[in-house]
Amino acid sequence: MNQPTKSLGAMLRHIAICALAVAAPGLHAQDTKPPLRVGLVLSLSGPAAAFGIPERDAIQAVAADVNAKGGVDGRQLELVIFDDKTNPTEATRGVTQMATNEKVVAVIGPGTGGGILAAGPVAERLKMPLLAPAGTVAVTDKKNSFYPWIFRTIPNDFTSIRVLLSAAVKNGAKRIAIIYQEDPFGKLGMEHAQKLAGELNFEVTEAVSAPQTSTDLSAQALRIRNSKPDAVFVQLSIPPLGAAFIKSIRQLQVNVPTYVGLGLSQKAFFDAVGADGEGLRVASIGSLAHDPSPTEKKLAALLAKNGKVPTGWAELAGTSGLMAIMAAARTVQGEITPEKMRNALETTCGFPVFVDAEPCYSADNHDAWGEDSVKITVLRGGKLTSR
Amino acid sequence: MLNLLEYVLRGLLTGAVYGVLALPLSLVFLTTTTIDFAVGAYALVAAVVAAQIGGVFGLVAGLGAAMACSAVLVFVLVLLKRQRGDYRISFILASIGLVVALSSLVFWAKGPTALLNGTVGGVAHLGPLILPYAGLINLAVGVSLLAMLQVVLFKTHAGKVMRATAINPKAASLAGIRVPVVEASTILAGGLLGGTAGILLYYSSGLDFNSPLTLSFAGFGAAVIFGMERPLRCFVGGLILGVVEAISAGYASGAVASMLPMLFVLLVLSVSHAGSARFSGDRP
Repeated sequence: MNQPTKSLGAMLRHIAICALAVAAPGLHAQDTKPPLRVGLVLSLSGPAAAFGIPERDAIQAVAADVNAKGGVDGRQLELVIFDDKTNPTEATRGVTQMATNEKVVAVIGPGTGGGILAAGPVAERLKMPLLAPAGTVAVTDKKNSFYPWIFRTIPNDFTSIRVLLSAAVKNGAKRIAIIYQEDPFGKLGMEHAQKLAGELNFEVTEAVSAPQTSTDLSAQALRIRNSKPDAVFVQLSIPPLGAAFIKSIRQLQVNVPTYVGLGLSQKAFFDAVGADGEGLRVASIGSLAHDPSPTEKKLAALLAKNGKVPTGWAELAGTSGLMAIMAAARTVQGEITPEKMRNALETTCGFPVFVDAEPCYSADNHDAWGEDSVKITVLRGGKLTSR
Repeated sequence: MLNLLEYVLRGLLTGAVYGVLALPLSLVFLTTTTIDFAVGAYALVAAVVAAQIGGVFGLVAGLGAAMACSAVLVFVLVLLKRQRGDYRISFILASIGLVVALSSLVFWAKGPTALLNGTVGGVAHLGPLILPYAGLINLAVGVSLLAMLQVVLFKTHAGKVMRATAINPKAASLAGIRVPVVEASTILAGGLLGGTAGILLYYSSGLDFNSPLTLSFAGFGAAVIFGMERPLRCFVGGLILGVVEAISAGYASGAVASMLPMLFVLLVLSVSHAGSARFSGDRP
């Protein structure tokens, strides 16, 4: 009589084991969330590679650390990298590829203002949010139809110029000369500086331009000297160009305070300008490479762990994009799509970054970064130091 | 008036480098009737090697590296001449390809580092005028190179051989001149001169991996103003281009300042017949 009971019990055990065996993979799948795929369309070659390479390196270092600690709410970060070659056409191709082939949830990039403006319409059409590591004001202009899809990861140029010129005026400058490069970055910066003259109460004694391809800026330096300024504002972004200009004004013994915009806040410029750069006031997002704050030291440590040496603010710009994506992803319910990511980014505020600032995106403000994120540092002994 | 004089002097110092860049273009054109656009890349390579090694040995190694790069185009010329047809356009394209390749190589090896050595600092005071020593050295080196070239071309047997090759390669060959050797030597000398320009820039205004094509075009602009067939004309073209650039930057508004030097080149080429016979295939 016991035999059938035993058989029934054995059968039930078998059924239970089989059921568990069948259900286990499903249970496992519920525990392991799909990865969070993030596209990087950065300038890894061409003139903007000075920014693109450190941006990529820092993002990779942070992603490795996040993944080692369990990912973003259990989702591992997967980075898909594309080199836009500092070329707007390539930037557009990169964003298209990220949206159509790679199925990422957001793109950090493209690497330049020109690239972002070119890729903006594509991002709008393919519904792909772009985290823009560029100061070019136009990329977050609300008149752009693609405005909803672009989120800036560094202060815009106007913010940094305003901080810099305010500091110059505060230090007693009344007559300021401007050197700018002949591209949208330089021209828009110069025009904004001229607009600020009335508001901040200074006179622009001279605004001199230089082609990006100049090999010598001594004539421009001479013109600035002849205008007798009591401060000089440098709106250049190409290291040899900036170094050549600073050397020239030093040779002409223009010993007035010189304020250098964010574009030249990079190691290549500091190395090139050498001793002639002593005392330059440089706008910067922090001082990661030389005099890091406690917050910045965390990023410096991650970079060191990956065998990388900090170069400047590019690392901060790149990682701010990744931090924004991670913060937004944590608020998304269910499957994360690019569209949900965009909506989440618009409500992402006060998220942790490696910059001593509190970025805050909203539907009306995709710039996020205020004047508190720009620091005026001084170049001493080839290193940026906080004043 | 003093300001104008200072702009002119500054322009001469800048133009001296353009003149040095124009010399190899002239030399190669003189003997091969084609153009080596890779001079800017030779300049970059010389600067990179000089910066990497440092000291006098670095300078010598930089010049050697520039010559080694120009040897690539010697090889290309030999290959192209074996084929039937006009090799000159292919050679020009190959030289532009070499610029891109060497720029990429430097970027890969050194990244976006700017190459600028500030050890030749200091300025000379000529009354109220202030001129940088580095620029004065550039001018002195440029004039010295020009003088040497003039002597070599017009006072030595090697110069006669080169000019004979230029006037009629077939006749020169029949007269026992080894034309391929002369052409190869000229291209290598072009590498040396391009490398010299790079060293001068390394110690004065600096350059980076983006500079080569700009430098090549600056040298070409200087070379074509008064005709490419004479190194003296090329060097003077460089000086004048530098002066026009400096005066434009000093007096014109930003919108047109960078356009004026090129307009000047266009104007001179439009109204002058200097060098026109050379371009039409005639011999000097």
